[in-house]
Amino acid sequence: MAVESAAPAAAQRIDRLDRIWAGRPGLTGWLTTTDHKRIGLLYLWTSLAFFAAGGAEALVMRTQLAEPRQHVVGPATYDQIMTMHGVTMIFLFVIPLSIGAFGNYLVPLMIGARDMAFPRMNALSYWLFLGSGLLMYTSLLLGMAPDAGWFDYVPLASRRFSPGLGIDFYALGLILNGISSTAAAANFLVTIAKLRAPGMSLNRMPLFCFAILATSFSLVFALPALTTDLVFLELDRKLGFRFFDVAHGGDPLLWQHLFWIFGHPEVYIIVLPAFGIATSIIPTFTRRTMTAFPLVAVAELLVAFIGFGVWVHHMFATGLPAVTMVFFAAASLIIVIPSGIQIFAWCMTMVTGRPEYKTPLLFIVGFIVFFVFGGLSGITLAAVPFDQQVTDTYYVVAHFHYVIWGAAVFPLLGGLYYWFPKVTGRMYHERIGQTTFWLVFAGTNLTFFPMHISGLLGMPRRVWTYPGGLGWNVENLVSTIGAFLLTAGLVALFANLIVSAYRGAPAGADPFRGGTLEWATTSPPPRYNFAVIPYVTSAYPCWDVDDRADDRRRLEAGELVLEENHETPATTPVDGRLDEILHMPSESPWPFALGVVATLGTALVLSDHFLIAAAGVALAAAVLTLWHAKEPAPA
Amino acid sequence: MTSTPLPRARPNGWYGMLILVATESAIFGTLLATYAYLRFRDPSWPPPGVAPPSVTAPLVLALVPVAASVPMGIASRTARLRRAGPLVAPIVLATLVQIAYLAFQVHLFSDDLARFSPRDSAYGSIYFTVLAVHHAHVAAGILLDCWLIARVRTGLTEYRRTAVMAIALYWYFVSLAGLAVTATILSPAW
Repeated sequence: MAVESAAPAAAQRIDRLDRIWAGRPGLTGWLTTTDHKRIGLLYLWTSLAFFAAGGAEALVMRTQLAEPRQHVVGPATYDQIMTMHGVTMIFLFVIPLSIGAFGNYLVPLMIGARDMAFPRMNALSYWLFLGSGLLMYTSLLLGMAPDAGWFDYVPLASRRFSPGLGIDFYALGLILNGISSTAAAANFLVTIAKLRAPGMSLNRMPLFCFAILATSFSLVFALPALTTDLVFLELDRKLGFRFFDVAHGGDPLLWQHLFWIFGHPEVYIIVLPAFGIATSIIPTFTRRTMTAFPLVAVAELLVAFIGFGVWVHHMFATGLPAVTMVFFAAASLIIVIPSGIQIFAWCMTMVTGRPEYKTPLLFIVGFIVFFVFGGLSGITLAAVPFDQQVTDTYYVVAHFHYVIWGAAVFPLLGGLYYWFPKVTGRMYHERIGQTTFWLVFAGTNLTFFPMHISGLLGMPRRVWTYPGGLGWNVENLVSTIGAFLLTAGLVALFANLIVSAYRGAPAGADPFRGGTLEWATTSPPPRYNFAVIPYVTSAYPCWDVDDRADDRRRLEAGELVLEENHETPATTPVDGRLDEILHMPSESPWPFALGVVATLGTALVLSDHFLIAAAGVALAAAVLTLWHAKEPAPA
Repeated sequence: MTSTPLPRARPNGWYGMLILVATESAIFGTLLATYAYLRFRDPSWPPPGVAPPSVTAPLVLALVPVAASVPMGIASRTARLRRAGPLVAPIVLATLVQIAYLAFQVHLFSDDLARFSPRDSAYGSIYFTVLAVHHAHVAAGILLDCWLIARVRTGLTEYRRTAVMAIALYWYFVSLAGLAVTATILSPAW
């Protein structure tokens, strides 16, 4: 849809679209935006800022553990930093980056829509996420950060053993974060169900969108367990309820069950978008369609589904009945099947295609290596006797960093390179990109591989220091060196992207000849994404040269250009048949206002003055009413 | 309103409510599962000194929101088919019934609070939490109803059509959740 070569009739239509979809200028534009691309970028920058914070925390921990009996930080500070590292990386970095940034920016582009189904709720999701992150980091600045680990087990987290406000910051921050994620997930589900371009039946939908679909389902059904658990905890802590109090009929294991009923699907919530990115990058750089396309789509959904039935494998050391543990061990092993389908499909696509090992594909190869390795150590942990031996050792830390850092974040880094030309309109530096891959790859192995060994030698996790002479000194030193190498690689990676954003060569609409619809529009895409809504006849519509040539003709003829109003087409959920034309909401200050008020209201709950907190809730309700006071004009 | 053909799929707002209802059912599922979990770990349920819940009043009350869903369903059908038909009246009727229901429930709730406290036992904690969550849902629904009545009084637009369908769906869910909640909290009396 090259705007430059448009015929006069087409140019006029594009002019009209530019006028209708123009946002407000400057800072107001960003605060009131409902553009999914801008919201995606806000998510990107915010999650990367939290990533820097979480990374700095990791470096402090590794420096503290580099040698025995060091005193870089004290035990209390170490516990806070360790807890914040976990919370940050999971709730403020990986999920917001994968779903918030990649999902928001790409899903509407990939399905040929002009925005998300609920653009204002999309903005609200972002502001609530930012509020939850700021709330939790306020606690660190005040020196009262949560310090009971990211899974916050009671009774340690009960008021008796953690009397400060740290745990309350954690619980309230995560409740706010959960609302944000639920709203985002609902938005993706409806967007994917209703706003796909005409002709994009479910079997033609990009696999990345299947991954976001599966992730969103998981979020919708997994987050309530965490939210309920956090509410129980706050009721116990603030009002003296007895959910976790053994002396009064409560049970601390209830916390663990509910936490992991959320926590294990959470692992797949983290990893599935990464699978989706892999299935986007591999076809482009191997010049062929994805092998076993329908099987991969089903496998993505199955992983999310089975992920709900395995939570007890986090609790093998809690003394549950053997029959329970055997059942969950078996369920945990079944996940190997859909995971295996995907690994074989990725590998076979590369083997039977013509792979071109550019930076994005290198990161995907690295991801497959880490996923297989982390998967194998996962199988060892699914074996109950072995798990009971290594529970709470560095072996577990090694395993989940291979999975979460290696398998989930590597595709995100590859994705940053892959879609960089689309977002900025410029190319990154290829050779520096490849060098940074090798630095990050080596740094990852150097940091996390020795942890397997120190864990097997008995080093417990969550210790702030350790005595010499236990045989862990070399492993810890190597891990620390690796962490700094990894950091160096990441600094080089982001430096490459930042410099290229200003100085890179112009990329054009489709520098990699990608198959999905985001490559059919200009780089960066206009506010309305597509000058003419594309018709789709296959799973790789950008490779359908005739269809895309027809887009230009339809733009000149004015077929499905929708240049009269702020509109996007809706299609039927399964077949993708054109159903109606929807009038889309535009810029609004209310999502930002509600985000601010909701964050303040949540913070007020910390005060223990419930009248003040109730005033916060009332204020939020008032803002919500004002938001809906003006009815949208009928289409 | 009546000139454009009916779309095949339901409006986005209805789908959005469907997902809200899905995630809310997971919340109720978690609450009721917690009730069962705590119950089967505790041989004395309810704990000594707390009488089992009375059956008749909650059981009859649980059917009230189900009955109030009927007029909501009628209004929703009118809106969905974009027909001239009963719209405001059934919503007002349903709202009045819901308000009476909530008032009675709050009365029962404070009666219970006078008998035992959520701070005494895990039984009290989960009993009052489950009920409070459901009552909060009814209260939120009543607020939605009032907003809806203020809007549809002056006629139906596409935006209001979606709102009627979505809020009706919300009420179906709240009344079903009420049945599940009642069955669970009455279970010790069986």
